Amino acid sequence: MIELRAVSKAYNGRNVIDSLSLNVEAGERVALFGPSGCGKSTVLNLIAGLLAPDSGEIVIDAELVATAHTILREPAQRGIGMVFQDLALWPHMTVAENIEFGLAAKRMPAEQRRQRVTEMIELVQLGAYRNARPGELSGGEQQRVALARALALSPRIVLMDEPLSALDDELNLQLRQEILTLHSRFAFTLVYVTHSRDEASALATRIIHLRHGRIA
Amino acid sequence: MQRRLTLFAAAALLGVIGLAPVLGMVARSFLFEGAFSLRAYQALLSSGAQPLRWMGQSLLLSSYVTILATTAGVALGILLGKTDVPWRGALITAFSAPLLIPPYVLAVAWSAVVGPTGWITHAIGADAARLLTSWLFGLYGCAGVLFTAFMPVVMLLTIVYVGAVNPRLEDAGRLVSRWPGVLRRVTLPLIAPAIVLGAVVVFLLTLGEVGAPTYLRYHVYPVEIMTQFAAFYDFGAATAAAMPLLMITLAIVAVEYGLLERRVSELRTLAFGTQSRSRIRLGRWRRPLFVLAFAWMLVTVALPIANLLAQSASLAAYAEAFARTGGSILRSLGYALVGASLLTPIGFACGYFIQRRTLPLWRGMDALALLLFTLPGSVIGIGLISLWNTPATEVVYRTSAIVILGYLAQYIVLPTRMTAAMVERIPPSLEHAAQLCGASWFTIVVRIVAPLAARGLIAAWAVSYVFCMRDLGVSIVVYPPGSDTLPVRIMTLMANGAPDLVAALCIILIAVTLLPLGAVALWLGRVERRSRA
Repeated sequence: MIELRAVSKAYNGRNVIDSLSLNVEAGERVALFGPSGCGKSTVLNLIAGLLAPDSGEIVIDAELVATAHTILREPAQRGIGMVFQDLALWPHMTVAENIEFGLAAKRMPAEQRRQRVTEMIELVQLGAYRNARPGELSGGEQQRVALARALALSPRIVLMDEPLSALDDELNLQLRQEILTLHSRFAFTLVYVTHSRDEASALATRIIHLRHGRIA
Repeated sequence: MQRRLTLFAAAALLGVIGLAPVLGMVARSFLFEGAFSLRAYQALLSSGAQPLRWMGQSLLLSSYVTILATTAGVALGILLGKTDVPWRGALITAFSAPLLIPPYVLAVAWSAVVGPTGWITHAIGADAARLLTSWLFGLYGCAGVLFTAFMPVVMLLTIVYVGAVNPRLEDAGRLVSRWPGVLRRVTLPLIAPAIVLGAVVVFLLTLGEVGAPTYLRYHVYPVEIMTQFAAFYDFGAATAAAMPLLMITLAIVAVEYGLLERRVSELRTLAFGTQSRSRIRLGRWRRPLFVLAFAWMLVTVALPIANLLAQSASLAAYAEAFARTGGSILRSLGYALVGASLLTPIGFACGYFIQRRTLPLWRGMDALALLLFTLPGSVIGIGLISLWNTPATEVVYRTSAIVILGYLAQYIVLPTRMTAAMVERIPPSLEHAAQLCGASWFTIVVRIVAPLAARGLIAAWAVSYVFCMRDLGVSIVVYPPGSDTLPVRIMTLMANGAPDLVAALCIILIAVTLLPLGAVALWLGRVERRSRA
């Protein structure tokens, strides 16, 4: 479960998140919906531990992970997978290496690692692109690599920051379906950021509408 | 049309300033009394094993300096560019200070510490002192001095490029690994092209260095060229001797350019200007690492310069320095001011041309500018003489114009690359909008591009000024009789001048380099305060 307790965050003196409190239950699919600049991505970065709040507390699975200006649990210790808006695939690594990176960091034995990478690559149907670099893939294929990388460590929580915003309608619909399939298979908690009402209703069981850093 | 013509003129100018002397030198090396001849090369090959040994020593020195500078420069670059170590800005400035100073001044400074008359030498007893002095005057001392001089190149490149890495790529790594793993697997591989570029520049700058090795009595190959030219005045032998250095530089630059340029450009496009970089919080290591970096800075930068100051602390030394070199000081100042003021607009045109890919020649121009920077100054100097030493062009050869041309050729890459980086940040849509309003290209440059790039243009001028001011390699070969520069005069006096006089001259050189930069900084500060008010 994710819990934000009166969390605030400001950039250059401007409050992006303003005393925000919210709960996300385990296994739930929540969409953070709102216009650009309303603080959606900041909420994800706070949950992931990439930012520390200016005030308030963040609790994940009943453990306090961040308080004002302090990160108590580093991002790698929170059991979170994330798909970034620009996907953030490492351009110098192959598809397999992008997925394997986290497994190696967790010191998974080499044989198990290879198996897991293969499993994830097959899951997202990219078997033919195992040794391709991100620059050689289409937009949809890159999305799948990002998904596979986020899921490789079997995270309890997956955060998605407008991952489908740059895709055409057809691909967008197809990938929405794939995300739902993956969710029903792995039962992770999904927090999905979008500014598209359509996407929010298709993917989430609950929609949280943000405006000026608060729940509208 | 206006735009294409202007940029074509800039390309042609770069060709005349930089390419023609090099090609002219290559052609002249195959001529004897107006006919094709291999005489110069035969003479070079029959001169025994000495040139080969000196080339070996040059390559060994360059390798040592490159390994040291790359290792230390990357470590410092990560520490100062990526972590929350305190006083980052001050440390970066202090570590970069040696870039403002010609390497042989650092050699003089170090000899004031551990040389025969240095204070450490006096303090540690005769045997240890002899050992220390033998280290300084030889390969190790030379490598140490040039390491201090050129390490900032790698450090600054590392700082710039770790700042350019898209923080999302590191954040994605941080979700599964701690910072050391992210640095090793994500950040460093991403900035590897920039690190290799830094290593290549350090290698080539060391390979072409004459001043510090001469002072520290370590024989290197560029001295062979100087000897053939200045001592024997055998121009054919000097051009032939310059060819191996030209070939090595050309080969290394071609490899760097072919393999890495595209990847460096790709890295630039990864950067998301509006995203703040993620900093490594050092926690309990913050203070110890600061103390370590500060101590390193004190020993390698502050100590030698402070000693130089102490050694020169006599009014008589400064009075003598001004009396003997007043003309050289003024000439250096004048040459550097003119050189920087010409380099800035030409570099701006070349940088714009390269960044906006206006003519298909842009890649060749970029490579030529980089090649000219990494060529030893003596090679460029000899090329200039071979091109301009004709009855029809005596007005260039016999006047200060040839020194200025040398500066333009050797340092054009600096304002060019700086301008290209600035232009990259100006969205083309801003120019397109002005174009749609009917503005001419000149108007667009003057009203849109130049104001947006103003700070960068001033920085390009300042960097050009520093490099012109500290130049020794080109000036020592091409200066017209009676018109030497301060670095050349110091180099001449180093052999037989009193140590306090040489130290005073080095301090004067540092001051003359820094004073105009200080004036520009003050002026900028005032302009900014006024615009805020």
